[in-house]
Amino acid sequence: MTLMPLPTQVPDLEPDDRPVVISVEQISKKFCRKLRQSLAYGVQDIATDLVGGTRQSDRLRKDEFWALKDISFQLRRGDALGLVGTNGAGKSTLLRIISGLIKPDTGRVVIQGRIAPLIALGAGFNPILTGRENIYANMSILGLSTREIKQRFDEVIEFAEISDAIDSPVQTYSSGMAARLGFACAIYVEPEILLIDEVLAVGDTRFKAKCYRRLYELRRQGVAFILVNHNPQAILNTCDEAIYLNKGTLVSSGASEAIVTQYEKDLFYNGAERHPNQMIFPAKAAADSMGMDIRLLCFRNAQGEILPSLIVGKPMSFCVGVYSHDRFSGVTLHLKISKVGGEDNIGTVLYLSGENDNHFFDVPQGEHEIQLQLPYLGLIPGSYTMLVNLKRDSIYTFDVVASFRFTVLSDGKINQCRFYQPRSWELVKTSPDNTLH
Amino acid sequence: MKHLPKRSNLKSAPVIHTPESLLRHPRQLAQTMWHDLLASRELAWRLMVRDISAQYRQSFLGFLWAFIPPVVLAVGFTLASESEIFQPGATDIPYPAYVMFSTSLWQSFVEAVNGPVQAVVQAKPMLARVNFPREAVILAKVGEVFFNFTIKFVLIVGLFVWYQIPVTWTVLLAPVALVHLILLGTLVGTLLSPFGVLYQDVSRGLTMVTSFWLFLTPVVYPVPEQGTFGTLVRFNPVTPLLVTVRELATTGIISQPVGFWLVSIVTILGLFVTWVAFRLAMPYVVERVSS
Repeated sequence: MTLMPLPTQVPDLEPDDRPVVISVEQISKKFCRKLRQSLAYGVQDIATDLVGGTRQSDRLRKDEFWALKDISFQLRRGDALGLVGTNGAGKSTLLRIISGLIKPDTGRVVIQGRIAPLIALGAGFNPILTGRENIYANMSILGLSTREIKQRFDEVIEFAEISDAIDSPVQTYSSGMAARLGFACAIYVEPEILLIDEVLAVGDTRFKAKCYRRLYELRRQGVAFILVNHNPQAILNTCDEAIYLNKGTLVSSGASEAIVTQYEKDLFYNGAERHPNQMIFPAKAAADSMGMDIRLLCFRNAQGEILPSLIVGKPMSFCVGVYSHDRFSGVTLHLKISKVGGEDNIGTVLYLSGENDNHFFDVPQGEHEIQLQLPYLGLIPGSYTMLVNLKRDSIYTFDVVASFRFTVLSDGKINQCRFYQPRSWELVKTSPDNTLH
Repeated sequence: MKHLPKRSNLKSAPVIHTPESLLRHPRQLAQTMWHDLLASRELAWRLMVRDISAQYRQSFLGFLWAFIPPVVLAVGFTLASESEIFQPGATDIPYPAYVMFSTSLWQSFVEAVNGPVQAVVQAKPMLARVNFPREAVILAKVGEVFFNFTIKFVLIVGLFVWYQIPVTWTVLLAPVALVHLILLGTLVGTLLSPFGVLYQDVSRGLTMVTSFWLFLTPVVYPVPEQGTFGTLVRFNPVTPLLVTVRELATTGIISQPVGFWLVSIVTILGLFVTWVAFRLAMPYVVERVSS
């Protein structure tokens, strides 16, 4: 038996040969913050449009602002593009313009193929009606004919895992069931382009992993998608390229790794230095500090030297350098490690907590390092992201690093494994009465 | 995977979104309108089935609701006219039947006016998130009006039998006039619906306007011949349509043929213009409501 590694990109086509499915050219959109004024502008725009006049949409009226300004990008068949940015950066607005819900104020969008928005899970669900009836209504809204819905019906139920409840009213469903049904409906529309807006935040971890697997499959079939997510890790997992929006302008675009790093740097770690498998944070003023700050994250070898590269199975320590503004007792760490990328490694692979291990430290004022000694690095080769939480007892949080990224390299022996098994081999001579007979 | 995305779709004409008014490309507009109308038939049917089943499943009296208002109104007005508080004048058919029949017609008209506004307001979350042919929402409501009328039809047949009202062959033409009446209502409703999403005043105003409008329509009284009131009633566009449905179903003698055709033609032309306006307006409306 041979196991083929799964390709991460559409294999048989060179990037430039693949047809462009979405072309966004110099898109801008303005909004108005005052409701009354906004409604009046709406009526004004409708009136201008009705008489065929020009709206002069490229100029701001009183109280308006640019929610998006001069955004351009292209999406090819099979591409996965991540949109990152804080709330109000214009991500959802961009998706709404692409799906044709609202008109751009400048520029144009050219779409080639059927778009399914995963923005609207369960759009048109009526709680009184049964799951079956709602599937028909919902998938019709998403643009399928009755015949097409009938073809997909069984797969939808199977994916949503609600076959028992299919003839019960949706109002009797748990929120998770309703969300699963919504997601299943949307994903079985089988479009050429999927627009996904924060919806993967629904359901339990297992269902989330299933959703990501399904997205991965679709992607391999050449479905292009745009993913909006506040969790940069989801972007890293699914997208090769990303766009970083800030206050309606495109800050940068490129490989998702670089874009997410830039976004996180702006968002959480102002002034933090990232090196391979290492992060250094600037000192905080006492006023900004919660009492103790994380200053350094790195791995060290037995000699105490910082390791630039991590090899599976080697002994090392994970080190958290802290600066304490005072003397504290009950200091502990929570570490959550998740794998980045790949098909089925979604979610946490390792959760280590000083609290669970009953390790609390007394930290005097000044610089210290909390070291977690690992006799073997048990993580398999790949990229990881770690959440580091510096806590006092179980409630109070001193400092958090949302995403410390590191890469584990192969020792050349580990292959097709889920974890590293520390081991030794021996041949032992057995006496006759010790045998199994 | 059984259903791969169809490759052929990729070769179909691209969809382009620009800031320009759709009226700048009338040909393209007409094409997309026609295409969307065809595409929305099935969806409209689904939405109609969904709304009707939800409505009746959540109601104890169910179908009876189609009968109750005309009956209550007829009882009230018959009592009032018998005690001579209110003198409606002579009607072609027995007064209680006259009120019930007319009220059923009027109700269908009011449903056709309110339907699009309610439907678009209710569908707001859906409209704000999925780009489906917007016509479907309106069509579903029109379908619902017709569905409700078929239930009322049972009442009307009962009336005709009970009061032994003679009918002529023209009764076969009555549905045509009825369709015109409902289309007029749809025209008004569709025109108001985008504004109904933006401003709550529209829904509130409609309730008031329709009750006043009922007052100006010969529903509980025969068509007045003179006076300012008579003029107002005559200039009410609903009058010729409603009167014609009633006359076709009963006496067969049409008293307002000119008015009927005038209003009908204006309705059908107006409906097309309204459709264009509705399409143009919806993106602006969606942009003003949050998703």
